[in-house]
Amino acid sequence: MGTSAMRNRLLIICVLVLSVASVAFGTDYAIVVNPANPLRALSLVELGKIFKAKTTIWPDGKGITLVLREPNSPATKFILEKVLGGTFDEEKAVLSDPGRKNAVPVVFAESDEEVMRIVGGNAGAVGVIDVYNITGGVKVIKIDDKQPFDPGYVLKGR
Amino acid sequence: MKTRNFFPWMVIAILFAGGTAARSQEAAPAADATRTVPVTTQSTVAAKAYEMGLVQREDRLFVDEGLEFFRQAVKADPQFALGHAALGYFTADPKEAKEESALAVKYIANAAPDEQLLIHWMNDTKNGETVEAISAMNDLLAKYPTDKRLANMAAEWLCANQGAFEHGEAVLVRLLKYDPQYYPATNNLAYCYALSGQAQLAPPLMDQYVAALPNEPNPQDSYGEIMRMLGDYPAALEHYNNALKINPKFNASQVGVASTYALMGDETKARAQYLVAIKGTKERSTQVNYRILWAMTYYRENKPRLAREAFEKVDTEAHAAGLTVQEAEIHRAMALFNPDAASALKDLDDAREDLSDTRKSNLLPGDRDNELALILQARAFIAVNAGKIDAAQATLKLLENMAQTNRSTPVQEAYHSANGAVLFAQGDYAGAIAELQEDPYNPLSLQLLSAAQTKAGHAADARKTLETLAAISDERVETAFAAPPARLALKHDATRPVQGGAN
Repeated sequence: MGTSAMRNRLLIICVLVLSVASVAFGTDYAIVVNPANPLRALSLVELGKIFKAKTTIWPDGKGITLVLREPNSPATKFILEKVLGGTFDEEKAVLSDPGRKNAVPVVFAESDEEVMRIVGGNAGAVGVIDVYNITGGVKVIKIDDKQPFDPGYVLKGR
Repeated sequence: MKTRNFFPWMVIAILFAGGTAARSQEAAPAADATRTVPVTTQSTVAAKAYEMGLVQREDRLFVDEGLEFFRQAVKADPQFALGHAALGYFTADPKEAKEESALAVKYIANAAPDEQLLIHWMNDTKNGETVEAISAMNDLLAKYPTDKRLANMAAEWLCANQGAFEHGEAVLVRLLKYDPQYYPATNNLAYCYALSGQAQLAPPLMDQYVAALPNEPNPQDSYGEIMRMLGDYPAALEHYNNALKINPKFNASQVGVASTYALMGDETKARAQYLVAIKGTKERSTQVNYRILWAMTYYRENKPRLAREAFEKVDTEAHAAGLTVQEAEIHRAMALFNPDAASALKDLDDAREDLSDTRKSNLLPGDRDNELALILQARAFIAVNAGKIDAAQATLKLLENMAQTNRSTPVQEAYHSANGAVLFAQGDYAGAIAELQEDPYNPLSLQLLSAAQTKAGHAADARKTLETLAAISDERVETAFAAPPARLALKHDATRPVQGGAN
């Protein structure tokens, strides 16, 4: 990369990173659905209703399945706090409530690849992944009319 | 130049065999055809030139030579979509980037489906369509896991442009597991580690890179750059000079030597070395870029009148060459160092008009918006420093409008930074800190962040920010403006906010 066209950008970042002891990098989280799902956008409130199993079907009548990373993963912790607004432990309890089992089932996946595989194979599934892992096998939907990298995107990680 | 390098090309082409092999429609499919993204052209000359462009640009990091081959490729086949896309992706000339990207789209139907995906990735990265770019990139990486150049290119974009270091490193580690001797990936991994705060992992990779390719200049050049980042200027000079011993025309090292002298404060030597670098490139945009660095040396040694004269001359050159982004950068530099705020704001308004006028502008919208955002950011800072709050707020409004529709990182960072500056002026230091932290790589933002932290009573944070700023040793105009005062402040053991300016 020594002579790359991106040299200056690289240098800019590098010098700063080298100059601080530790740097935390965030990522945007993407809400993904099956490409066959006609949905293009949700509000954060509507997403919260899905997480709480208050909304159980999509407008076309298909049942919703929620696909998340393991309950204790940083991604799920971040998403639960952002979407549901409470503390992580409180919100984790919402997901494990036995009463919701037949409403909006929750599937926990070991990787973003697995999330996408499940969402790609289930027309009613909605998942959460790191935006840098998205592929053409899923469709990214807007939240509050914004998609990842948009200014003010609500699921921007720290 | 081309004759001189012919033999090394062949050696390197063999050495790095397995990359994105170009093949024309006339040629018989190779045995490993499914391992790399297809390259479709009606011309065998174009296919060979494209391949050599990748050898030079991706494998050897001979940027100018690589671009020249891509130009030859599209000359041989004017409807070669991927050739146009590659030229548009790699060139530093914004006008060429815009024209070539448009031609890639025009002829995209000539390309195979996966090749079209690669073209979309190249264009989307330039147009701020980041989500679409990531999707295309991951689909290609999954389908062509052994396409080394594809992986290397993707990782470079992730690390250098997106700051997605963890993802870039993962791509490179996977690639090196497949082929430990694909040294361009070793080079990029060293940079990614350095970028992600694991600097200690970079020099061993550089040792490996240098040892593996002792007759190639880029390993020594990269080593020089890493050492310069670490602040070890003598070691940086040694490695840059080693690269020039291997190939005296390896111009990146020539400019590396010049910039290292500039950062060391030896501006006379720096200017002499920049002039050698300017003569060493045929790329007009690169010549002007180096000329800007040359002119900056006068500001670095606190000779504002000579600096302004030098920049005005470079501005004339840039204008004549139609290099609008460089023109804007020149005006930004003059404005930052202009002690008269009203005149500085006029400098920036001139630059903004050029960029905003779509009839004059020959830029891709993404390139234009990124530069425009920097102009507006500088304008907001200068207005705040001059106590012109109304002007700062009006500028912020323009940036806000841009940020609503443009997802590019530079635009977003510029908006948050300018908002931080306005909040600082309004006395909302907590708000200013949060906003300025959104632009963590910009010396102007760091300077004001330190000031805001001081005002908010966070003295330890302010000092840490100042240390971060003082440690920056890159070529940017903002660094030349803001880093020396930070070093001076630290030298005097001060944590109070400092005003910018060369010293």
